[in-house]
Amino acid sequence: MIETLKEIWAYRSMIRSLVHKDLRGRYQASVLGFLWTFIVPLCQLAVYSLMFSIIMRGAAVEKFYLYVFVALIPWNFFSACLTGGASSVVAQQSLVNKIYFPREVVPVAYVTSSFVNMLLCEIIVILVSVFSGVPFNVLAYLCLPLVMLVEYIFALGVTMIISAIDVYFRDLEHILGVVAMAWMFVTPIMYDSSIVAGSRWYSLYQLNPMNIIVTAYRDILYAGKVPELTKLAVLLGISIVLLWIGFLVFGRLKRRFSEVM
Amino acid sequence: MSEVVIDVRNVKKMFRVYRDRGNTLKDRILFAGRRKYEEHWVLNGVSFEVKRGEAVGLIGQNGCGKSTTLKMLTKILYPDAGTIEMKGRVSSLIELGAGFHPDLSGRENIYTNASIFGLSRKEIDERLEDIIAFSELEAFIDDPVRTYSSGMYMRLAFAVAINVDADILLIDEILAVGDAAFQAKCFRKLQEIKGRGTTIVIVSHAMSQLELICDRSIWIADGLVRMDGKPRDVHPRYMEWMSRKNQQEEKKEDERENGEVSETDNEGNLKRWGSGEARMTGVKVIGADGTEKTDFSPWDPFTIHIDYTAQKPLDDAVIGLAIYRSDGTLVYGTNTLIDTSSPVTLQTSGTVDLKIDGLSAANGSYSIDLAIHRPDGFNYDFWRDICTIQIADKVQTPGEIALSHQWDIH
Repeated sequence: MIETLKEIWAYRSMIRSLVHKDLRGRYQASVLGFLWTFIVPLCQLAVYSLMFSIIMRGAAVEKFYLYVFVALIPWNFFSACLTGGASSVVAQQSLVNKIYFPREVVPVAYVTSSFVNMLLCEIIVILVSVFSGVPFNVLAYLCLPLVMLVEYIFALGVTMIISAIDVYFRDLEHILGVVAMAWMFVTPIMYDSSIVAGSRWYSLYQLNPMNIIVTAYRDILYAGKVPELTKLAVLLGISIVLLWIGFLVFGRLKRRFSEVM
Repeated sequence: MSEVVIDVRNVKKMFRVYRDRGNTLKDRILFAGRRKYEEHWVLNGVSFEVKRGEAVGLIGQNGCGKSTTLKMLTKILYPDAGTIEMKGRVSSLIELGAGFHPDLSGRENIYTNASIFGLSRKEIDERLEDIIAFSELEAFIDDPVRTYSSGMYMRLAFAVAINVDADILLIDEILAVGDAAFQAKCFRKLQEIKGRGTTIVIVSHAMSQLELICDRSIWIADGLVRMDGKPRDVHPRYMEWMSRKNQQEEKKEDERENGEVSETDNEGNLKRWGSGEARMTGVKVIGADGTEKTDFSPWDPFTIHIDYTAQKPLDDAVIGLAIYRSDGTLVYGTNTLIDTSSPVTLQTSGTVDLKIDGLSAANGSYSIDLAIHRPDGFNYDFWRDICTIQIADKVQTPGEIALSHQWDIH
């Protein structure tokens, strides 16, 4: 385990290159290039504001566009890890089959690249949040890196496991497409969790880690208040255990990767 | 110098060949009980050691397990039994241009590609100039790689790969890169790397390339080490085995048994082999005065005179010559096919005279191999070290060859 971590550290420049290649390569051939990283979330924001302020006027929540937007960006990151992260190793099979490097580099680079993409989008989120008149609470903002860290570790743990299993069982990526959609609806992104409060599944509903994460983002960027730190701390612990399991599973499965691809 | 850096012990590798690979959920569930596969043992207990600074070639037929061995050295595959120990930093040139992104510039791709070989940012910065210079792409290095010709692409890829300093370098069939000039450059670079004490393991079908670089060849056949030794000893045996195998596939029954030639020297190395359909019955080296001689100056013309017999007239014969220096370096080689581009006809008996204007080489002892074979490499009669000649000039001059020259000072 320690050996693996040391090796991954030794290959940090590869992770960096893969992230760089992914982020720069993604928009390189397009005219607007890297600007797309910002344009896409801005367009999403425009669509949501239009939809919720004109079409669905009856929304019970104030500034509903912002309410959705602050949750959607972190969700997009996690969702990308579920769907794209699962096939990340398979997608790099030409490398995996030909060159030695610690295989963990592939999912780590994928999650990191999606994470960096989210961080760039968060700049827009914060700007919109400030301009929308959300109180700028310094204490709350100080919690933002912690929330992001928890989400990163959680997403990485999940991705390590699914990317390794997907090599042997390719149906997983299709299954996860459906799972991602269902998971989005059991996470309060487009609605307020108070709607579910009366249900007898509510306690189960609250155990959803993404619920805790999305709510924390919303507390900071929409309500301008400090998130529930106890819940976050517990989730941080769980995420670290999950990541550890992820490394174990990946370590067990990686030896035969290039035999089955 | 004698430290063992690669230690392969009794390594076995099995692949499961699924007759009908159930990769989807439906297949897994419906056919859970009858997922039939065949165990295909590619390696059945391969052992060898490589010492620091050695250059070793792995040879063998397609599918014999040499690439699998290399992949296990690279840690892409893991053995099912046995152990592999490697000491030092390993770099593998199995895939060139790994991770190249067509839209990014040559420079950016150098960073990506080199980082995949495990180089840190700082190490890449240090090598960047060398890599660009080696690739000869200075003018295009900031253009997107998709605008490169395939030759330029491979040059860039090879430049990165060859500049990764490693203790052990593993190379798989990638030396056929670019034009002849660039290939020569790659070879010089490999020689230089070898000179620095890097251990090299190469998989290749190009025997002549291996002979230029390797000190040792390991021939793998049927998942086992068939032979391990100097390329000069191993390669002829391998070529012989291959041509015999081809021959056997052509006609199942073996009608050549009678008259087959096989002799070994006192160290047990095969000295002469072939089917015997044609054979050399006498070989003489004759000087300008018409007498048999072994000592010449670099400028003395001489003739190699061969008497031969053949079981029946042959119209597909090639007569070949190779001259080796005493350290095993191939000094010169040619054959009638190279010189006349068509096979020669041999009668049931006759003579061949090969006139040479002089062996313009440094002082020393040179041994000659002669062969009568078919254009496809099947040997009628291959005779190693058939004779040795001594070259001695009046004065000792430095260098490997002797140049006929004349000073003209006014």
